[in-house]
Amino acid sequence: MPKNEKKISNKPKVAFFDFACCEGCQLQIANMGEDLLDLLGVIDVVEFREVMSEKWDKDYDVAMIEGSITDHHAEERIKKIRSRSKVLIAYGSCATLGGVNGMKNSFELDEIRKYVYGAGYTYFDSTPTKAVDQVVKVDYYVHGCPVYLPEVVEVLKCALRGIPYSVPDKPVCSECKLNENGCLYEKGVVCLGPWTKAGCNSWCPNNGNICYGCRGLVKNPAKNAAKNIIEKYRLDPALMKNKFDMYNKAKEATNEPKK
Amino acid sequence: MEIKNSNWKSRKAKIINARQMTVSEKWFDIRLEDGELDHEPGQFVQVELFGVGEAPISICSSPTKKGSFELTVRAAGRVTREMHKLDKGDNIAVRGPFGKPFPVKTMVGNDLLFVAGGLGLAPLRSLINYVMDNRREFGKVDILLGSRSPKDMLFGNEISEWQKRLDVNFACTVDRGAPEWKGNVGLITSLIPGINLNPERTYAVVVGPPIMYKFVINELLKKNISERHIVLSLERHMKCGMGKCGHCQIDHPKNYYCCKDGPTFTYDEVKDAKKL
Amino acid sequence: MKYHILEKDQLECFVRSLSKKMKAVGPVAKGHNNYAFEEVTSASQLSLDYIPTILPPKKYFMPNKEKMIDFDLGGKTPSAQAALECEELAIMGVHTCDLAGIQCLNIVFNERPRDYNYLLRKEKLFIIGVECNKYCDEYASCALVNSHLPNGGYDLFFTDVGDRYVINVNTQKGEDFVESVGLDKAEGRDLAAMDKIREEKRKIFKNEVDIDPKKLPEIFDKSYNSKVWEKVAEKCLSCGNCTNVCPTCYCFDMEDFINLDLKTGSRVRTWDSCQFETFAAVAGGENFRGERSMRQRHRVYRKFKFPVDKFNRFFCTGCGRCSRTCMAGINLKEILKEVAEESKF
Repeated sequence: MPKNEKKISNKPKVAFFDFACCEGCQLQIANMGEDLLDLLGVIDVVEFREVMSEKWDKDYDVAMIEGSITDHHAEERIKKIRSRSKVLIAYGSCATLGGVNGMKNSFELDEIRKYVYGAGYTYFDSTPTKAVDQVVKVDYYVHGCPVYLPEVVEVLKCALRGIPYSVPDKPVCSECKLNENGCLYEKGVVCLGPWTKAGCNSWCPNNGNICYGCRGLVKNPAKNAAKNIIEKYRLDPALMKNKFDMYNKAKEATNEPKK
Repeated sequence: MEIKNSNWKSRKAKIINARQMTVSEKWFDIRLEDGELDHEPGQFVQVELFGVGEAPISICSSPTKKGSFELTVRAAGRVTREMHKLDKGDNIAVRGPFGKPFPVKTMVGNDLLFVAGGLGLAPLRSLINYVMDNRREFGKVDILLGSRSPKDMLFGNEISEWQKRLDVNFACTVDRGAPEWKGNVGLITSLIPGINLNPERTYAVVVGPPIMYKFVINELLKKNISERHIVLSLERHMKCGMGKCGHCQIDHPKNYYCCKDGPTFTYDEVKDAKKL
Repeated sequence: MKYHILEKDQLECFVRSLSKKMKAVGPVAKGHNNYAFEEVTSASQLSLDYIPTILPPKKYFMPNKEKMIDFDLGGKTPSAQAALECEELAIMGVHTCDLAGIQCLNIVFNERPRDYNYLLRKEKLFIIGVECNKYCDEYASCALVNSHLPNGGYDLFFTDVGDRYVINVNTQKGEDFVESVGLDKAEGRDLAAMDKIREEKRKIFKNEVDIDPKKLPEIFDKSYNSKVWEKVAEKCLSCGNCTNVCPTCYCFDMEDFINLDLKTGSRVRTWDSCQFETFAAVAGGENFRGERSMRQRHRVYRKFKFPVDKFNRFFCTGCGRCSRTCMAGINLKEILKEVAEESKF
């Protein structure tokens, strides 16, 4: 099979899969530029729907999962991928947290199915949104909506070397200040930086935007401080809650990550 | 640009022997390329795995042993887990030795009571073996050892050597017994009341997990050992080893960097710390 | 003491000749009353009348991502080389509080074992201070720690006396530069104008917290178990901004980065903060400063207690950055007042 000859190198076989998502994270990777070429020097991409049509029928060294798990079919599919993968990386907020798809969980499931699919909704399967680790074991996380490319590269390097990657567990503010951004609260806007995990190099505030909390909450978010800040800046608590829910709703479910 | 006198320069070394001791602890015998480590009991080295990081590890061999030094490494973090993958013949690098050693000179001529819990035996073993090799310099020696279970006990062979010696009183206990275990079951504190000691001339050297200190020290104080004669080795994240990075600074009204002012302290020095 | 003068309309010429000689940075307005030290090539980019920048000049003395080691795992045995990255750099418009901050860092990195990366880099930096004739804002407490007046630590120092700057030349390096630009020597009337500014400053700058600084060590001896720390902890987000922006905070972390060849890489020193949740945690899981109250106390003790014991000097420069930057409103001056009040009982 001369066509496949190129593929049979001893480079790690990496496959990209998507579930419920906008495929924006894949697009980020496809548009990575120079780093992508360097990356392709050390890995073989064997499946990547957005950029190639080939399929791979053997095991994967690394499976990159984008998107959240939102129906029974997806649950089966992710389990199959997991069983074929040595290492599984969840990338993008949909995969790591449930992401914006998690907003579905704020409603009765049937109600939302009716709203989306109309009268024939029973023909369309749907389950409450789950992050990937609420269904299968996840070895590495790359949070973000979309993912921050330098972090994708760092995580891949860790995965290829078999060493752990620790997602920073400090607020985005820490990076924001190092980038010498003025605080958005002083400009009168609400930003979730103080409670959101860093690691994105405060990408949004650097560009004048607020932090939407797409990387999930730090392990021990300052709850009392949040109350103080709501008072100090005269914010609407309901608005704050909505902002937090935008990415973090699915993670409210109590089930622990699969080990 | 290369810099000549950087503090971050490391010393190249080779693992000349390695052995898995328990499920989570591995022992390494390491030879430096540039000669002796020149450490004193109670000191530590920074083990360097380039591309992974550094980890502070207590030296568990006595300086009386020449040619190489030994480390007992628990797989707890990123670096130590990686280190467990290394074996005889592998190359590593170290910085050090660092830290204030046990006050060996002031202990000379006194009775010694060693209390080790779990991995605390590692730094203590450096001192115990030093004392064994200079046995005449010291008075009565008691060794108390506590482990979680018989299979967690470190340095089994050496322990039985100590047990056999006539110039050492030895006792050990495990938190949880096992069918084949015939020894003591219970906390290490239960061994202290039975010890016969002269508080005026006894130094107690205690090394173990933070939780152990409070209870053991309590028992020692009951025996009228003065706070200045109770010596501890504290665990902190000693990242730079040079008293600068701040990670190991003890939560204490006084300015103590564990890596430079410690890791060995007298209880008198650090008793105001909330956690030892 | 040597003094020269620079007419304000010559500032442009001064900045241009400086920036031609070496890279030059200075305070630049970023909007919303924020300032940052950034590269400048013209005086028009500078804001010499500014409130303390978001980050202090320590970002040039101990850069946040500072390479310490280059390593290569590709060979038969791993090899490593100690590295130093530095460049000639002029820092313009440094306030006296920040000069004090640099002096603190100098003490720390000169303490044995000396940090040669810091010390060698420092030699490449050309420091031009500027005097504050009035307070920057209500957060400052420079008079408390006596950092509102120049106290060395610079090559050149500017005092604005109206139509011109009086420049104090403090080093040979400063002298050489002043000569190369050809600045006139200051005359008696210039020095008199400068003295008058200082006289005025004595009236404006008054101990901002009304606590005798000599009493502070004693106050902190009594404040370890103060209720203040719990109160502050209620507000604290553990974001680390107060330490990131502090001119005397130097705690750091070391991180290894590997290149995509998975063989070569570098060990990098990054800024760290005692306010972060895991700063004092060990691999086994124990966290020795797991509570926000302990961490906030630690921060303040590292300014007013520990360095006094060790170096006989406060490590607070009164710049006010920690309070100014804290979006939760934790205010250092308030903390000082509260512990002082409490220690009376």
